[in-house]
Amino acid sequence: MLPEQFGIVGVARSEQTTKAWIAAMKKAVQEHSRDEFKQDVWNGLAESMSYVATDFADDEGEDAVVEVLRGLDEQRGTAGNRVYYLAVPPAAFETIVTELGERRGAGDGWTRLIVEKPFGHDHASAEALNGILKQWFREDEVFRIDHYLGKETVQNMLALRFANGIFEPIWNRQFIDHVQITVAESIGVEGRAGFYESAGAIRDIFQNHLLQLIALTAMEPPIDFTADSVRNEKVKVLRSLHTPGPKSVVRGQYGRGFVEGDEVPGYRDEEGIAAESTTETYVAAKLYVDNWRWADTPFYVRAGKRLARRETTIAIQFQRAPHPPFAEIAGDGMRPNVLLIHVQPDEGVSLAIGAKVPGQGMSIRTVHMDFLYGGAFRTGLPEAYERLILDAMLGDATLFTRADEVDEQWELVDSIVAAWRRDRPVFPNYEAGTWGPRSADELIHRDGRSWRRH
Amino acid sequence: MTHVAWAPPKWADAARRTLAGLEERHPSRTILLFPEPRGADRVQVTVSMRCYVVQGVSQEVCSEVIELRLGGRRAQAPASIVHPLLISDLPTFCRWRGEPPWGKPELEQLVGICDRLVVDSSEWPKVPAAYEQLVTLFDRVAVSDIAWGRAREWRGRLAALWPGIARAERLSVTGPKADALLLAGWLRSRLGSGSRRELELALVRRSAKELSRVAVDGVPVDVPRGSPPSPSDLLSAELDLFGRDPIYEAAVKAA
Repeated sequence: MLPEQFGIVGVARSEQTTKAWIAAMKKAVQEHSRDEFKQDVWNGLAESMSYVATDFADDEGEDAVVEVLRGLDEQRGTAGNRVYYLAVPPAAFETIVTELGERRGAGDGWTRLIVEKPFGHDHASAEALNGILKQWFREDEVFRIDHYLGKETVQNMLALRFANGIFEPIWNRQFIDHVQITVAESIGVEGRAGFYESAGAIRDIFQNHLLQLIALTAMEPPIDFTADSVRNEKVKVLRSLHTPGPKSVVRGQYGRGFVEGDEVPGYRDEEGIAAESTTETYVAAKLYVDNWRWADTPFYVRAGKRLARRETTIAIQFQRAPHPPFAEIAGDGMRPNVLLIHVQPDEGVSLAIGAKVPGQGMSIRTVHMDFLYGGAFRTGLPEAYERLILDAMLGDATLFTRADEVDEQWELVDSIVAAWRRDRPVFPNYEAGTWGPRSADELIHRDGRSWRRH
Repeated sequence: MTHVAWAPPKWADAARRTLAGLEERHPSRTILLFPEPRGADRVQVTVSMRCYVVQGVSQEVCSEVIELRLGGRRAQAPASIVHPLLISDLPTFCRWRGEPPWGKPELEQLVGICDRLVVDSSEWPKVPAAYEQLVTLFDRVAVSDIAWGRAREWRGRLAALWPGIARAERLSVTGPKADALLLAGWLRSRLGSGSRRELELALVRRSAKELSRVAVDGVPVDVPRGSPPSPSDLLSAELDLFGRDPIYEAAVKAA
């Protein structure tokens, strides 16, 4: 898929040669590529790769990068087109964006800037970052990446809803009892202690992935599939989201426990974590989308680390059948219909329906109609980043987050965090390897509902 | 569905035999857990898939079987191993072989992930005392008892004695202790207030491997026709059930 006129330039502070960097990249590709490593393909790619060791705090550093990029224009015909991928610490963001902006030549080709999370720490800092970006780049040149949006199943949510006539008429408060979104990780902080201590689950997962999943689930049909049409609809959802009150959000932190058979330490015992840390590793909330489609329909969401299993799902639970005309005993097995969208792992969709158990009498049992990507399509699924980076190269921002979406996401998070500042949590409050704190169960049990168990 | 079976070494062969007669009827993922708490601290896994041609359908039905040997401390943390293997949103049945270790982490954890716990109280050495422990699980998980299922036809025969049976004073049972206790508990709970002490139905039991004779006040009850169901049949029947069984629960409380 990559054009001939293409080159990759690695830029970082670490002193190393291009040769050493290419060797490190080769090793990474061999370890992590979803396809079999092919030496001839790699050789072609490696020819286009170079490395610049520089510090952006130093003016000469940028000049060195510009020089390499101009060299690529001449050698590989890249025509001044640039995709900058910024996976940089927040402290370096302003300097780098400014330096890149200042060095844009009038006659250059197009420029696209991919910005990794965290995009800010709160609304004010995100607004400041957006301000810096706006100073040098147009909004259509900025690609705020949320890799969840690159996952096939997340995009399939749009196909499911808007390419099928049967779902949209029932996709509303009249037919849907509630929605549950789970972003569960079984891993701990895995060497990201520094970042995680200041971010916690609410900034690491809730502010971006979770809220984007809600937006895609709840948005109105866009008039077309262009970036702005889709993002216009998403931002309306984000703007209309609210929590009914502080009791509708709970947080937790894991203690020691067992995950996949291994005994694991509690969060406070992880390397680099403060012994009295009050950073949350779990957050659950009840949210409402205040519009005609969703009024009074709760969206229960939860995200956390060291949970019982790795799983990201969107469960649409429909209203129960109003009056089952069966004998009392038959109704024992009757559960509401659930449309379950598996985002990861095992991407696919399943619909739970009640069916008669063969034999005498009328016994009802839940069965599933399943669609698994691996079973229906024999092609491998692209990694989310593959899809998103290619989209950015093509200038398609549909699956990237726009500035106003980020604003709305942070406004909600700020309101939650503000309430948290008023009390000191008693942590840890859930064992590693479980589904989170008891208070999360209470949150949903209060409404006579329960979390999906697995 | 996901079918989880907890089988201490003593029960391992029986668990495999029952499973062999079950897979064809219940397409499932079966997770066989063999605890070896005195073994080395490790997990050993064997995975197999068994497929069967279904009569009248041009497709095969396949069952996955995952055998896990949980050594050392791993035997105390089965849920953490089972959880990632459960099939999302499908019911999970847990068959517990032998008497559960009441209050121990392995039982508590599996109860927490199961929709239905299937036991066979005839495998328990300490009935009726163990029923008091079992009762504490009723509000947390639906419970099935194969000993209860095994006596189903006999309950039918006893029910046919209504209304005369309402005046019964003595129930004589030849069979496993659990089966006899549950039959007596069922009669007490159906005919009286459900409290063991308040009822005067006496149970006289003669030990036997199978439930072979029941008499009310000395009068033998008709023996159910046909051969008794196999262990696979009994477990299979339990796997078709959902929800709590209030009649069984009352029988246990009155046993």
